[in-house]
Amino acid sequence: MKASGSSGWKGPVKFRMPTAENLVPIRLDIQFEGQRYKDAFTWNPSDPDNEIVLFARRTVKDLKLPPAFFTQISQSIQSQLADFRAYEGQDMYTGEKIIPIKLDLRVNQTLIKDQFLWDLNNFESDPEEFARTLCKDLGVEDPEVGPAVAFAIREQLYEIAVQSVSSARESRLSKKSRRGSDYGSASKASGLSMDLVKLFSFKSSVVRKRKDLDIYEPMVDLLTNEEVDALEAREERHAR
Amino acid sequence: MATNAPIPGGSGEIPPITPSRPIIPETPSEISASSNSLQPPPSSSDTDRIYIPSYSRWFSWNEINECEVRSLPELFDSRSSSKNPRVYLYLRNSIIKQYRDEHPNKISFTDVRRTLVGDVVSIRRVFDFLDSWGLINYSSSASAKPLKWDDKEAVASEPPSTVKESAKRICNGCKSVCSVACFASEKYELTLCARCYVRGNYRVGINSSEFKRVELSEESKTGWSEKETLLLLEAVMHYGDDWKKVASHVTGRTEKDCVSQFVKLPFGEQFAKDSDSEDALETFNQIKGSADPESEGRVKDGSSSPDYKRMKLTPLADASNPIMAQAAFLSALAGTKVAEAAARAAVTALSDIDHEAGKNAGGDPNGQEINGNNSERAVAEAKSLLEKEEKEVEGAIREIVEVEMMKIRDRIVHFEKLDLEMERSRKQLEEMKNLLFTDQLNIFFHTRRSRKAEDRAEC
Repeated sequence: MKASGSSGWKGPVKFRMPTAENLVPIRLDIQFEGQRYKDAFTWNPSDPDNEIVLFARRTVKDLKLPPAFFTQISQSIQSQLADFRAYEGQDMYTGEKIIPIKLDLRVNQTLIKDQFLWDLNNFESDPEEFARTLCKDLGVEDPEVGPAVAFAIREQLYEIAVQSVSSARESRLSKKSRRGSDYGSASKASGLSMDLVKLFSFKSSVVRKRKDLDIYEPMVDLLTNEEVDALEAREERHAR
Repeated sequence: MATNAPIPGGSGEIPPITPSRPIIPETPSEISASSNSLQPPPSSSDTDRIYIPSYSRWFSWNEINECEVRSLPELFDSRSSSKNPRVYLYLRNSIIKQYRDEHPNKISFTDVRRTLVGDVVSIRRVFDFLDSWGLINYSSSASAKPLKWDDKEAVASEPPSTVKESAKRICNGCKSVCSVACFASEKYELTLCARCYVRGNYRVGINSSEFKRVELSEESKTGWSEKETLLLLEAVMHYGDDWKKVASHVTGRTEKDCVSQFVKLPFGEQFAKDSDSEDALETFNQIKGSADPESEGRVKDGSSSPDYKRMKLTPLADASNPIMAQAAFLSALAGTKVAEAAARAAVTALSDIDHEAGKNAGGDPNGQEINGNNSERAVAEAKSLLEKEEKEVEGAIREIVEVEMMKIRDRIVHFEKLDLEMERSRKQLEEMKNLLFTDQLNIFFHTRRSRKAEDRAEC
């Protein structure tokens, strides 16, 4: 991949996850006969499709789910993979794209809230590495938190990459203006990316504003069992 | 580290690096689910001892053994950036650590998958691999130890307890059980079933001639170990022809088994590689030299079978034609001699049929004439074919020539156009020159006139 750092926009790049490893985040949320199965993991899209069946069967067996889940799981995985593959042939524009990534998740008894800036242009970025370091630095003991954090980051990156594909498509459809100016407007229109030029110009300083300090600080909470139950009950009520 | 109690049966130990529980490999003699010859551990309810089977003795925390590379090739061939040895090491070590934390409870794939960062397919493969090699979820109780995967899942690899005793050969290409015959390459340690061999279903760098054909029908039932082979050879050397005595010397084998095994022994090549069995080679040479006529006959049989085996089969090149592929597959399965015989028989049968047809058509009982007819017909056919070919070639050449002519014509047309353009621009240039000239003249006259006017004005 081309090294990031040059200003302006480079030519369109074939769609892929903007991370070092091209893994697709897959989220499952299946409800059937009163049983709910929620899961999230990463999948390598270059694996053969028979792996989906094997994985689904294994999961149903390990978690002792009713066998009806098997078809639902494999279908869900397959449709998400198909979506990803549909995007794969298309172009996405990569410009200056520093985006804030928000973490707000609860894994077993650990609650993590965090926000940080991520460079979408850096195709060598590694959410797993970041998650590992985060957990180590914050002293998180539950081994399931790391993968969940990595997954959340990956999911958000995936969504934004998808958005950039659709914006690239729109800019191409409108043939009135020339490409360069059109792209610039599109990226600003997305609203998420920060304007680096403004940020690092001589007028403003690199130090974060005071009001942003709280948002950008990670927060880890260990909940007791009762709090976990209460939270879960609240979530289910929201879901319905 | 706690001291390790001595275990009957002579199993080894692995010095563990991180865990506080001692790891003790056992020595099961057969890994098939049917036979339970596992040696029971000294105390069954041991929560602070972790057992692993002795065929997994190669395991080491910081290294990757080649059987791991073999079983999980997709993680090591750098096709995908997320599949590389570092990732494999991380997955494998985390899974094993997690299992050892949970010991004696077993861990399931989903437990592991939730705590590991990586794509789930690779995790599943590594998990299955470790499971099959007994590095995780290994219970040393004598109750049935079935291999822990679904029946329909492809079997990745079977851990052989000793190399010669593997009950079944699994093809590395299609992961199916090899039945009649298989092809083994010792250089790359691959085993392929006949179909994969013919289809070329192996890695790119391997030549088809690297494979040797290995008959399986007897091997799967008996699986002769080295010791037994050695005993057999000794017995034959001592007792020569008395197969009863030979069978009694080789414990546990019937006469027929001994005879068939002796005939099949791949002398020379295999024993040359094995440094232990050089004496076996010598004994065989002695046997070869023995004057006993009957054993000589059998020995000749034995020496012919290695040639038979050593013949390197090259699959018929054009595997795209399905019929040819099928024929190649069948001939590979059956072996060269059988295939030769079959082909010869087929040819003679065909010529017989021709013979018959010739007889019926000509109505002439004279055999020679019919033969002459046959050969004449063949010659005529060949000639007509030749003519057809020539005509085709001529036609092709004609077409090529025509195309070339058209090309040249086009080029000429192009050049003519260019020429015209040149002329036109030259004419334009001329005109412009003329114009310039007239302009110059005008200016000259004007200046003359104005100077004359000036002179007149001065006077």
